[in-house]
Amino acid sequence: MVNDDADVVARVLAGDGEAFGILIRRYEPGLLRFATRMLGNPDAAADAVAESLVRAYRHLAQCRDPSRLRSWLYRITGNRCRSHLARRHTTDIPLSEAPAPALAEASDTWEVLERSEQVALVERALAALPAEKREAFVLKHMEGMSYEEMAAVTGARIPTLKMRVHRAREALLEALEEVVR
Amino acid sequence: MNPIDPRLQAALDGERDPAELPADLREAYALLISAAELLEATPPPRVSVANRVMAEIRQIPVHVPPHGSVRRVIRWFGRPRAVTLRLRPVWTLALAASLAAMLLLPWQQGSVRNPGETEGIANFVGHFPGARSVEVVGSFNNWSRGLLHLSDDDHDGIWHGAAVLPAGAHEYMFVVDSERWVPDPLAGRYVDDGFGAGQENSLLFVRPSAAQP
Amino acid sequence: MRCRLAVALALIAAPLSAQNGAARLPGRVPAAALPAIDSIIATAVAESLPTEPLVQKALEGSAKNIPAGRLVSAVRRSLLQLRQARVIVTHAVPGQPVPEGHVASVAAALARGLTGPIVERLLAMAPNEPPGPALHAAADLVAHHFNPDSATNLLVEAHSKGLRGVRLLDVAVAADHELQRGGGRTPAEALAHVRAMLPNVPAPEAAVTRHGTQGS
Repeated sequence: MVNDDADVVARVLAGDGEAFGILIRRYEPGLLRFATRMLGNPDAAADAVAESLVRAYRHLAQCRDPSRLRSWLYRITGNRCRSHLARRHTTDIPLSEAPAPALAEASDTWEVLERSEQVALVERALAALPAEKREAFVLKHMEGMSYEEMAAVTGARIPTLKMRVHRAREALLEALEEVVR
Repeated sequence: MNPIDPRLQAALDGERDPAELPADLREAYALLISAAELLEATPPPRVSVANRVMAEIRQIPVHVPPHGSVRRVIRWFGRPRAVTLRLRPVWTLALAASLAAMLLLPWQQGSVRNPGETEGIANFVGHFPGARSVEVVGSFNNWSRGLLHLSDDDHDGIWHGAAVLPAGAHEYMFVVDSERWVPDPLAGRYVDDGFGAGQENSLLFVRPSAAQP
Repeated sequence: MRCRLAVALALIAAPLSAQNGAARLPGRVPAAALPAIDSIIATAVAESLPTEPLVQKALEGSAKNIPAGRLVSAVRRSLLQLRQARVIVTHAVPGQPVPEGHVASVAAALARGLTGPIVERLLAMAPNEPPGPALHAAADLVAHHFNPDSATNLLVEAHSKGLRGVRLLDVAVAADHELQRGGGRTPAEALAHVRAMLPNVPAPEAAVTRHGTQGS
């Protein structure tokens, strides 16, 4: 990588605020994916990621180990998501009852229709999990993190995280097998 | 919920070769992996937040931590130290006149600027007979020494001073003779300082000038 | 003159001190404690907790020459208190963003000995107002041995009758004055007396804040 995180962080801390854009482009897709899976709502996720990135910029000097910048950004975003879930209005639609994504239009091929149904199914099964298990599954299987990095992101111990991931897999497998078999 | 075979969990954790799994577990493995890939490949982000974030951080004043000589200069100004001035008498007349005017003005409120609406004036008074110096150190001056000295011009042991502070709660202590930390006996509010020796900070609540009757 | 110059310098220094929290630590905090304290502050940042109370605790301990181990422990305890404070704020005012100022005020109130349920009642009393004055008023009353629930009832009633912000501190001062008045008055009687005069509790006499003696 031409500009590794440490270089970019040093540039920002030296006063080149525009260089923060490099970090945004680098991590925004993953953070948005993570937040969307956590909150079940792309708009709320965008808010959470934007707030997290601004907070990270304000406190960038606190990230004393820029080689772990990714974990730090996910940790800030994860906490934003948890705060959002904690204060979620009772009038909000719970994640598990959120409407499934629209199915593909009739002109689409059967294969595509089946795929979108699968996506909807997996999304609903994931949304039905408690937030901690959902977070663990997303970090492990969608963001491809090691358990060590997940521990840095969540603050939880590795055995706890393993247990959460295992339980999440069991719930998902059960939901998937209902359809597939 | 049915527990998953530990061999399958190990394979999903990357601790076991999935090819070695029995056929039924391999099928479950493929199902879970494809489910995760489905989600990963389904891009939820519809709108980038990059422009929004950059617009917001451009409003934040740039704070470049001082380095090298700049940092040393700032530290020099931030530390209490004795300063000796050696000036030619002819150049000091104007300065002397200014200093005399300052000395002749009454202390107390007249000596501090008028507080803004979200500030107030705090008066500090302590009875420390025989003390050589008394200063106030607290959260309002980052617990820095040498910034807010009290005075006892008539040597009656009653030390006093005033400062304009932001409205709200502030913790502080008196430092007597540069070494003895004592709570303000008149504070009326105290809070354990949390360092485990049972010492208490004094607590001051500054009223905003806008709220004064 | 020395103190006058000192005050002037203090006022000039104030905006400098408002800079980014952790930038104030190197050079002030012992080198042995700095990495651990940095890490605690980084945790607070990651958890969206206010960092200023942690910076202040580190600066305070350094000024008092507290050994590094005890200094780090105190800053860590402050972090735990901020976490506890956020849980209380979230619980007391559900469905609203948690302002950092609220969390810091609640942590300070917990440090003064207020219990979670009392803090929650006062937050729920005025969710959109800065909670500092009400919390300090309650802590003042509790520190002067008034029953915590009765003291909170009095503050809630004072608020319902229009007293806001620092005027709630006047309620605490009035109760304390009533108790000091002598004649064998019990705390409960002192509170009842102040309740009867609401919302017309005396305001501080001077325009200058003097801790404990004038006004608050």
